[in-house]
Amino acid sequence: MKISQRRARGLVVAAIAASVIAGPVIASMPAKAATELTFWSWRTEDKAFYEEQMDIFKEKTGISVKFTPYLNTEYNAILSTALTAGSGPDVMQVRPYGGMSNLSDAGNFMALTTSDVPALRRMSPGTLAGVQGYTNKKQFGLPYATSVIGVMYNPDLLRQAGIRALPSTWDSFLRVLAQIKSKGIIPLGNATGNAPSLEQLHAGIGPTFYGGTQFFNDLVKGTRTFTDKNYVASLQAVKDLVPFMPPTPAGINYDTARGLFANEKAAFYIGGNYEISYFRSLNPSLNIGWMPAPAAAPGAKRYATTWADGGFGINAKTKAKPEAIRLLNFLASKDFNQAAADQLGWIPTAPFIKITDPAVAKMSKSLASQGTPFLNVVGFRFGTPTSSSILWPGFQKLTAGTITPAALAKDVQEAVASWYAPQKGKS
Amino acid sequence: MKLSGIKREQRKFRWLLLSPGLLIIVIFTSVPALTTLSYAFFKWEGFVRGSWAGFENFERLFSFPFRDQFLMALRHNTLVFIAIMVLQTSLGLLIAYALFNLKRGQRFFRTVTFLPVIFSLVIVGYMWQIMLDPYYGPINLIFGDLGQPTWARAWLGDTATALPTLVFINLWRWVGFPAIIFLAGLNAISTDYIEAARIDGASEGKIFRKILFPLLAPSMTIITILTFIGAFEWFDLPYILGGSNGSPAGSTDTLALMFYRLSFGSGDSGANEVGVGSALGVIIFTIVGVGAAVGSKLLRRREVEM
Repeated sequence: MKISQRRARGLVVAAIAASVIAGPVIASMPAKAATELTFWSWRTEDKAFYEEQMDIFKEKTGISVKFTPYLNTEYNAILSTALTAGSGPDVMQVRPYGGMSNLSDAGNFMALTTSDVPALRRMSPGTLAGVQGYTNKKQFGLPYATSVIGVMYNPDLLRQAGIRALPSTWDSFLRVLAQIKSKGIIPLGNATGNAPSLEQLHAGIGPTFYGGTQFFNDLVKGTRTFTDKNYVASLQAVKDLVPFMPPTPAGINYDTARGLFANEKAAFYIGGNYEISYFRSLNPSLNIGWMPAPAAAPGAKRYATTWADGGFGINAKTKAKPEAIRLLNFLASKDFNQAAADQLGWIPTAPFIKITDPAVAKMSKSLASQGTPFLNVVGFRFGTPTSSSILWPGFQKLTAGTITPAALAKDVQEAVASWYAPQKGKS
Repeated sequence: MKLSGIKREQRKFRWLLLSPGLLIIVIFTSVPALTTLSYAFFKWEGFVRGSWAGFENFERLFSFPFRDQFLMALRHNTLVFIAIMVLQTSLGLLIAYALFNLKRGQRFFRTVTFLPVIFSLVIVGYMWQIMLDPYYGPINLIFGDLGQPTWARAWLGDTATALPTLVFINLWRWVGFPAIIFLAGLNAISTDYIEAARIDGASEGKIFRKILFPLLAPSMTIITILTFIGAFEWFDLPYILGGSNGSPAGSTDTLALMFYRLSFGSGDSGANEVGVGSALGVIIFTIVGVGAAVGSKLLRRREVEM
């Protein structure tokens, strides 16, 4: 078939015009009815759980919710872009501390009040602080769970290695690790191939050396610095554990390291309560024991590192404010939090939740007397460069022997002092 | 000069046909590139743009702690470019020459050589991760079977071997590409030159050095420029195998990874620096743009007319 030039031109013009007109028309079509809420999260692995809960919410209220999780590492960028462009979901999971406080400071989230969400009234100031703006201290999220880092162990492997009593001091911990190694068992599952998990290892054992909450408060006030000899000692402690890690630890990634503990090849694993659901997914019958990090000396205080895992927030520009508030109150309810504790291994911020997993229950109980803030997450992620961004590659260099603990501490101090006012000019 | 009515019509029609493509290039390439350029001159709070910053982001990029990361990444990109040129391109040329001289089965071996190029890079990355696993990976097991267990190591986890290992994986995947380009170049050379040289008693080595290699200059230009651009924008393979931090300890860090890390933050650390990231983007763009332009001008000079 022959098409004349004029006709062909007409077709091209029509095609372009159609696409130009159709685009905005399609985009402006209402995507949802008034009572359908959108809910974003970074927990792709919890999609089934949330969808089930959203069905329960719909049964109770008649409001349907579309739950969309995005990849963990891309979530901040996706949410920030959407909010900055004036769109975004009605309700969303928000990062704690510095993770999203800048978005809150820019007015992207609705300020939550105790009259909107009464559950906030029952939470401690420390818990609430996890999801408050940095400059205006606005409550931009409902904190949902607490994370705890400590020392997990396999009682069966300890028995096999002839260990009768759990180590309570750092020296006895190192002796126990050496004894386990001599029996041909991997003493510690942690490895050095994944930088963020090394930071968490340090978060677990570091407070023993630098003195937990007291040092955290002094750092925040600016009366002590990261070059403090006790903080340097805490970095050295990470290096001291390398001989007890699996062979060639630098080649072992996060999942392989956790797999060694889950598959009963390694006796100890220093990590958080959020590892337990992964351990159980690999080995449902795994026997897990838990203890806080060993003390610096006999009788000294022991610590369990803790921080708010995140929160649920409401878009300041939502067109369905009453419905979004109802959803937040559902997320604060006992039933939802009990289900999350049972199925996701949460230590919920909501009271009266029964924790069935014995290891998680122990972690939860330790918080009142042994809890100490996760130094980097709670204190130093509100500006850049964050202490974490220096420590991630820093720990890998430290464990590979290419940087000294003192030099790494100096780098962290220089980075934080560049933006954190109380530390400015200090070295 | 006045254009005739038909010519004018044709010219208009040409622009009309070009417009959808041009529109896409302008919207998805030119506008983001110019926007990034402008981003580099503003202060940023996360993803929220603040006030005018002048050259502050560039100054920050060249001061602690970004300076050391930038210099290390630049060093890695340069080393990778040199390694790919020396190893991958020469091996590609060798394979092309072998295929060129093959009397039978050329098509089969050509396909085999090119096959890894069409594999998904993510699959290639994970496949090599398994192959090189320090515990279960067949590579280390083979060393054990050969009676050389001390050769086994954490190839991707050791700061000394991680980058060379990535270069090796890149070579495995990409060597077919220069091979095919060179083979096409060799096939384009008139056999008259080769036969004339043979009659004059030239050896195979001499024919390669004095006739084939100089006449392959246009293919070499393409490969060098593409390798240069690829090496200085290297992101995918290091990201798949070392994550956005260039693990272990930044030993596989590249400029593109650093750009990604600065602009979008790494995971949940909330540590993104859109301004400094954009400044780095401008620098990468300049290195690649200027390098490719100068390189192609210099390399074109040594090309000869056939």
